[in-house]
Amino acid sequence: MSEEMYAKLTQAVIEGEPEDAELLAKQALEQGLDPLTCVNEGLTKGIQKVGELFASGEYFLPELIIGAEAMKKALAVLEPAMVGDQSREVVGKVVIGTVEGDMHEIGKTLVGTMLIANGFQVYDIGVDKSAAEFVAAVNENDADIVGASALLTTTMLQQKKLIEALEEANLRGKVKVMVGGAPVTNSFATEVGADGYAEDAISAVDLAFRLIDAPA
Amino acid sequence: MTRIEPLQANFDLKVLNKKQLKQVREATLYVLENVGVRFPSDRALDIFQEHGAMVDKDSQIVRLPAEFVLTAMGKAPRSFTLFGRAPDTELLVGGGHSYFATDGCGVETIDFETGDRRLSCKDDVAKMALVADYLSSIAFFWPMVSAQDYGRLAPLHELDAAYNNLVKHVQTETVMGEDLARYAVEIAQVIAGDDDLREKPALSSLICTIAPLCQDKEGIEAAMVFAEAGIPVGFMGMPTMGSTAPAVPGGALTIGNAEAVSAMVLMQLIAPGTPVFQSLLVSGMDPQSAEYLVTLPEKYLCNVAAVQMAHDWGVPALGGTFGLNHAEPATWQLGRDSVYTALMCALAGTDITIGLGMLDASTLLVPEQIIFDDEIYHNHRILARGLDTEMEGIAVDIIENVGPGGHFLSHKHTRSHLRDIWIPELTHPRMEPEDNQNGDIRKRARDKFNQILAEHEPTPLEEAARHEIDTILRNAEADLGR
Repeated sequence: MSEEMYAKLTQAVIEGEPEDAELLAKQALEQGLDPLTCVNEGLTKGIQKVGELFASGEYFLPELIIGAEAMKKALAVLEPAMVGDQSREVVGKVVIGTVEGDMHEIGKTLVGTMLIANGFQVYDIGVDKSAAEFVAAVNENDADIVGASALLTTTMLQQKKLIEALEEANLRGKVKVMVGGAPVTNSFATEVGADGYAEDAISAVDLAFRLIDAPA
Repeated sequence: MTRIEPLQANFDLKVLNKKQLKQVREATLYVLENVGVRFPSDRALDIFQEHGAMVDKDSQIVRLPAEFVLTAMGKAPRSFTLFGRAPDTELLVGGGHSYFATDGCGVETIDFETGDRRLSCKDDVAKMALVADYLSSIAFFWPMVSAQDYGRLAPLHELDAAYNNLVKHVQTETVMGEDLARYAVEIAQVIAGDDDLREKPALSSLICTIAPLCQDKEGIEAAMVFAEAGIPVGFMGMPTMGSTAPAVPGGALTIGNAEAVSAMVLMQLIAPGTPVFQSLLVSGMDPQSAEYLVTLPEKYLCNVAAVQMAHDWGVPALGGTFGLNHAEPATWQLGRDSVYTALMCALAGTDITIGLGMLDASTLLVPEQIIFDDEIYHNHRILARGLDTEMEGIAVDIIENVGPGGHFLSHKHTRSHLRDIWIPELTHPRMEPEDNQNGDIRKRARDKFNQILAEHEPTPLEEAARHEIDTILRNAEADLGR
């Protein structure tokens, strides 16, 4: 019975059915299933499979993103039901967003999705976020990594401001900074003192694993 | 898996307006009635004479009054079916699709293993048939090179190699003369099984005329055998401006038109209703060396005019594309010229089109060239399709749903339609293998070719059919020698 439910959750993520995933999560709780096991045996297996299918070229970005959406919908039901010190196992915690003055959303959403698919806990704070807002999110979520996106030559300097703000808040020692976006380059990343730069969402995942020193 | 993705043009490219089309038609009819066409075949001359054409047996020239031509051409069908030996490989020629085929018939091959340039052989035909069976750009097959290891029986062995490695329709462009044609009909009958070849034409034929205004004896005599057996026959005029035709495109078109039409008329006299089709490949010559030139703007215009002229006679058109004067695959020149030949022919509504996979003016088989041409074909296929502006094609509800500032990446509509956007595989491979990290496009093409050759398994010909064809080949050898 429970095995069947885990398999259905896995399938809802693989097939990218957010509504089904949410409904299944509710049913699982009604049946008295352990929410953490639902995540580990159901959703995580699903998102791993999605990641594999994407890596092998079979899945495209929409399948990847809708798969992650399905996982998020189900997590939103299951996580609040976890008891005591239960929490799902994550590779690392990432705060991600687009810098102040910049409304570009897609790049950081893709990176966030790829990180989710690879087992990271991702806090996507949205677009047009000030350095202070990034710092607050890092504090609040005890993040290991912060990812800042900038798509304009006029906003990329905000990435430098963010790094300075993290230093002022004495967080720079415990949080790694990765930067990205169309105008951003490796040398720019070094120049502003970031820990790493990635060209696309796939290499961003490799970078994140490297930064927290975890096996990919 | 064997697949065919035909091209369907939503455009109607024309280079001749109504008045111009009428001018060329009238010129053609004038030439047919007053100048005539030479038929170096007693049998053909007798048939023309029996039906009341003006025949001069000494000069072998046949003259055809306009009324005679129009009456005969009125019997030729505008559409007909070409039979392949598997489901979903039948082609309705003249039904609004453009079906593409390989090029032929070459005499040299870049060796599949060594890369050396050598004489072509039967095994080359077999290998290319297998690859053509796989590629969805290929709807039917022209044996691509001559089976030179079989001497004068080469054309029959080309058919054997084709049928054994491909389930799609086969069209021969090399079976010439009554004798070979009879054996070719026998082979086709094996493929059609118990059915009449008229119902299931497992073979069709393309015969070249000789400019100016002559038929080839062996060609026309083979054509007569085919017409009697119900095998569709096409005629291709290949006038060269300045040498075998006047140095003006209109004159070249008129000469080619007269040659092809006179042959199609003969087919209708022999067997009224015989499926026929027409092709005109106008070329130019280098004004000093007389080298055959096909990469000329005039030639491209003539390609389109030729499609219009075939349709004006009420028969399907065969377009000749790709296969240009290039020694190397993947050159900018090839990209340029394929647009002018293949795309322009397709937009003009050519019914069947040959030409994928050869270089050096259709004489040299370069294995990976068919992969390049396949990709260009699919580009053209999408271009010819045009744009969808129906509800699902505009998706205004989805635009409304996402609104300003959002994105469409996570929308199910995107998921279901993103795959409809065709992405060139050679320039945008999904994965680059370890041994090609610098993205050598020729290596990509070659790898794909090798993979198809190694992995594709066409539905084999039934044992009994294979045996019957072997017997026919043995009989032909005993009868005609090699």
